[in-house]
Amino acid sequence: MLAVMAWRNLWRRPVRTGLSLISMVLTTMLLVFMLSFQLGIYDTMKGNALRLLDGFAQIQPPGYLADPDIRKTIAAPGDLAAAARKVPGVTAAAPRASTYVILSNGELSYGGAVIGVDPTAEVQVSRLQATVHHGRYLAASDSDAIVLGDVLARNLKLSLGDRVTLLGSSADGGIAADSLRIVGLFHTGMAEIDRQVAEMPLARFQESFGLGDAANVIALSGPSLGAVQRAQPALTQLAQSQGLVLRDWAALEPALQQGITLDFATALFWYATLVIVVVFIILNTLLMSVLERTREFGMLLALGMRPMQIGRLVWMELLMLSVMGNGIGAGLGAALAAWLQVRGIVFPGFEGALALWGLPPRLYPTLSWTSALSPPAVMVACIALAGTGVFLRLRRLEPVPAMRAA
Amino acid sequence: MKPDTQVSPIVRCRGVTKVYRVGAVDVPALSGIDLDLAPGDFATLAGPSGSGKTTLLNMIGGLDRPTSGTVEIDGQEVTALSSGARAALRLHRIGFVFQAYNLVPVLSALENVALTLQLLGVGPAERAERARVALDEVGIGALADRRPAYLSGGQQQRVAVARALVTRPVIVLADEPTANLDSTNADGLIGLMSDLNRASGTTFLISSHDARVIDRSRRHIEVVDGKVVSDDRR
Ligand SMILES: Nc1ncnc2c1ncn2[C@@H]1O[C@H](COP(=O)(O)OP(=O)(O)O)[C@@H](O)[C@H]1O
Ligand SMILES: [Mg+2]
Repeated sequence: MLAVMAWRNLWRRPVRTGLSLISMVLTTMLLVFMLSFQLGIYDTMKGNALRLLDGFAQIQPPGYLADPDIRKTIAAPGDLAAAARKVPGVTAAAPRASTYVILSNGELSYGGAVIGVDPTAEVQVSRLQATVHHGRYLAASDSDAIVLGDVLARNLKLSLGDRVTLLGSSADGGIAADSLRIVGLFHTGMAEIDRQVAEMPLARFQESFGLGDAANVIALSGPSLGAVQRAQPALTQLAQSQGLVLRDWAALEPALQQGITLDFATALFWYATLVIVVVFIILNTLLMSVLERTREFGMLLALGMRPMQIGRLVWMELLMLSVMGNGIGAGLGAALAAWLQVRGIVFPGFEGALALWGLPPRLYPTLSWTSALSPPAVMVACIALAGTGVFLRLRRLEPVPAMRAA
Repeated sequence: MKPDTQVSPIVRCRGVTKVYRVGAVDVPALSGIDLDLAPGDFATLAGPSGSGKTTLLNMIGGLDRPTSGTVEIDGQEVTALSSGARAALRLHRIGFVFQAYNLVPVLSALENVALTLQLLGVGPAERAERARVALDEVGIGALADRRPAYLSGGQQQRVAVARALVTRPVIVLADEPTANLDSTNADGLIGLMSDLNRASGTTFLISSHDARVIDRSRRHIEVVDGKVVSDDRR
């Protein structure tokens, strides 16, 4: 009967209850949608950044991350890549070698990073080939071939079909040099890549830079970042068995990771503010409804009801209201997010600003259990917790003064 | 005013005083009440407004503690009990009818009556049955499913009487139950309580300054300035 009373009490003031309900529905809906949207954008940012070159994770020699030295090598990269591909959640593994070189054309020279890649494996990990706008990407049969960032090529006054000279140090410490024909120019939109990256066939790299059969890293990819993240324990084990280490996306892109963390922390601050405001409104409404029922509570106490039971009644009202409001809100927010997850959202006129962040013009929220359930759970928990204050206040209620209350 | 020595009383008040502190001022509400109520008494408590009727009923009902003196209900000293024990005593032994705000507005007449039974731990089927019987006894069984807002003042007070009696208390305390009723309804309500008193033997103590109510009583107690000034049996 307490539950029946609680439920009916809610509807004694339908307008007030309705307003409380609406404020919770809207807040939770907004929070679920915003959180989904935000997580979706983070996914896109991570995906775009990692898919371009890094991959979702890499197996590296220890210390290579801090100091990418050509002499820190993986001895049998082909076997390791094959083993990594067998890990569930991993669909591609591309061995790479790289070093810093001077690229030159006659009098002109610029520093840059040249990466030796296995074109067949590489295109499954990196989207770089898709950004080639002049010529073509490297092919499996290539030997005397290189692709250059278009800014680098322009700086060197080189164009398609020209030769570029590389000068660097080989793995054994000697001087390494090579000359390669430019088969393609790429434009990623990321200035530091377009200005200083070049890719050449791995076999030719190994030969020119004295690496033998070795490589420096294995870049990994999968159907999604999440899939590869779930494969991390197995990959870590695999890496460790070879005396190597696994580097996750956050290690590969620390600036991106920090940016996301900072952005998320800022957003959480605003979400928390919103939650606090709404909890305050709900609590205030509850307090009002309790105060105007003081005489009724006094009567119930007089009959022999315990203050605890009245507290439970009021708490039940609060819980019913907040579970209902947040449930509906989460449902609507999730539905909206799910719909836009399929449709995508465009912000007409903001394409340029989005591109600056490395984002495409059409954005997609990512609905997840986290984004759908954490806002309503936090709201209900905060309301229930704050409701204990009213509960404690009710425990001190005495029948005679309560019945005499105006 | 002599205590009844033949039967052990249902209510025994000895030297009951109550002083309310309002700010820095002491307001004496009761100044030494000695009063016994025998089983089956149908007594009215009259007196001008502010004379201490409500306060006395609150003391007897275990709703509040006297400043000094003792109150015993059915041989049990009420004044010594903790507030939890007093709540249990009220629930088990005492029926209340108040002047107003008697009923829970969101519950039907039947549910209002059944509520106290639920607090006593009576199962759903039994409490519905007992509540229905109690409503039949007060003559509004047909209105069992109505909420208080859809009942007249007289009908609401009948529901309150049914609720007071459904737990089979040793005493029913009614504080000006007819104050908000017209004379026909007031007459009807008092007649009902009188009949129930005769039928069940439950002790009633009813505060009122309505002459017609007082006429119906078989014992009439007058309180002035927190003291019993007359106590007539008839
Ligand atoms: N809770 C209280 N606080 C302060 N004064 C009270 C309180 N209850 C009653 N009184 C005072 O005690 C006196 C008796 O009141 P009450 O018992 O309500 O009289 P009655 O019911 O006969 O009208 C009055 O002067 C009243 O103002
Ligand atoms: Mg009074």
